[in-house]
Amino acid sequence: MHFLEVKNLKKSFGELSVLDGVSFTVDKGETVAVIGPSGSGKSTMLRCLIDLEKADGGDIIIQGAPLVEDGVYVPEKQAAEVCSKMGMVFQNFNLFPHMTVMENLITAPLLVKKADKKTTVERARQLLADVGLADKENEKPSSLSGGQKQRVAIARALMMDPDILLFDEPTSSLDPQLTAEVLTVMKKLASEKMTMVVVTHEMGFAKEAADKILFMCDKEIIGQGTVEDIFDHPKDERIRSFIESIL
Amino acid sequence: MELLKYIVKLFGLLSEGLGYTLALFFITIIASMPLGLLLTFCRNSKFKPLRYATSTYVWVMRGSPLMLQLYFFYYGLAFIPIIKEFLTLDRFPAACIAFTLNYAAYFCEIFRGGMLAIDKGQHEAAKVLGFSKWKTLTKIVIPQMVRVTLPSISNECITLVKDTALITAIGVTEILYFAKASVNRDVDATAYLVAAVFYLLMNLVLTKLFDRLEKKYAF
Repeated sequence: MHFLEVKNLKKSFGELSVLDGVSFTVDKGETVAVIGPSGSGKSTMLRCLIDLEKADGGDIIIQGAPLVEDGVYVPEKQAAEVCSKMGMVFQNFNLFPHMTVMENLITAPLLVKKADKKTTVERARQLLADVGLADKENEKPSSLSGGQKQRVAIARALMMDPDILLFDEPTSSLDPQLTAEVLTVMKKLASEKMTMVVVTHEMGFAKEAADKILFMCDKEIIGQGTVEDIFDHPKDERIRSFIESIL
Repeated sequence: MELLKYIVKLFGLLSEGLGYTLALFFITIIASMPLGLLLTFCRNSKFKPLRYATSTYVWVMRGSPLMLQLYFFYYGLAFIPIIKEFLTLDRFPAACIAFTLNYAAYFCEIFRGGMLAIDKGQHEAAKVLGFSKWKTLTKIVIPQMVRVTLPSISNECITLVKDTALITAIGVTEILYFAKASVNRDVDATAYLVAAVFYLLMNLVLTKLFDRLEKKYAF
């Protein structure tokens, strides 16, 4: 059984079709990078996986449990249960601005999982130390740099112990130096065999950390395979010209 | 010296009206803010008739004079067939109802604006972290809404302090009522100035209070 299975996913916004039959699988411990030109449907596809967008057709199955089957969604409560196994990191961080860094991390485990406060705080401190922000627990997000915010956001997602972590262009709003500090954290997660699906424009990260690459273009996945398959032996002309354009 | 004595006397006299002024202020604030929040939810409801009913309500309450609404609830109800048998209100309760219903409409719009100002990403982050709709509302949306809407709420409260003077028109013995009585009796306008000092002082306190709140909720 695959950890995550997507079959023939379709989605349109009104008349505009954005996903037209997307299929792929993710196995436990894999880091999957989703690359391709802007407007190819990468983010929409990722947002469908965690129920932030509704697909119009196809299947999404997470660890054997369906979120949507043949375009029909499971009831809301069940959908929340299925999606609770996943975490998400956004391009714009979406930290809670009225809470401190510590509160950002512990609120969800305490409220949603009814976790023990002492252990939760300890775990939060540990994760903050892991992402290099041990001294920031009492800061408000507004006093952090973009890279620090994104590292807090990653720690916040990890607090819920997700089996799969989704990243939606996590470094697209960061300058190169801050990008590097976020990518370091993500590479570390990849090396620890966290299952990740990463929509990214960072080809360096994709080449270095991804076990599998999905190349999306024109509403479809037009190529998938290892780094070598995609970067060194691209089968599709569109992939070749995209890779040439970014080198 | 005579004038000073007169002014001190007026302060004593006008402070008898302070009770109704403050009571109307606090009752209106305490009742109209939750009602306004409830109206905001109704206005954002997925159920169309409720949405239309709420916007009609807001239109009527914001679109007609508060003074007219005050007259309606005090004098008007007594002329409506059937209703008049059950519902005629004393001066002060009529004033409280008119003010609460009127201010709720304004607060509804203030809170709606505050909700619109909250980034969609906040809802999404809450959802992927597993927050229920209720917890998203109470832990994420409302705390941020408070911050965004504080300046407008402050504005509304200051307006309310001044609007309380309207109820002198239906004979409630608040500050302006005593001021007017003094002016007529003594043929001397000083009482109006003293009344102005009362309102200015109340608003000074409010302004300082909201400055503090804004600092406290800053992020």
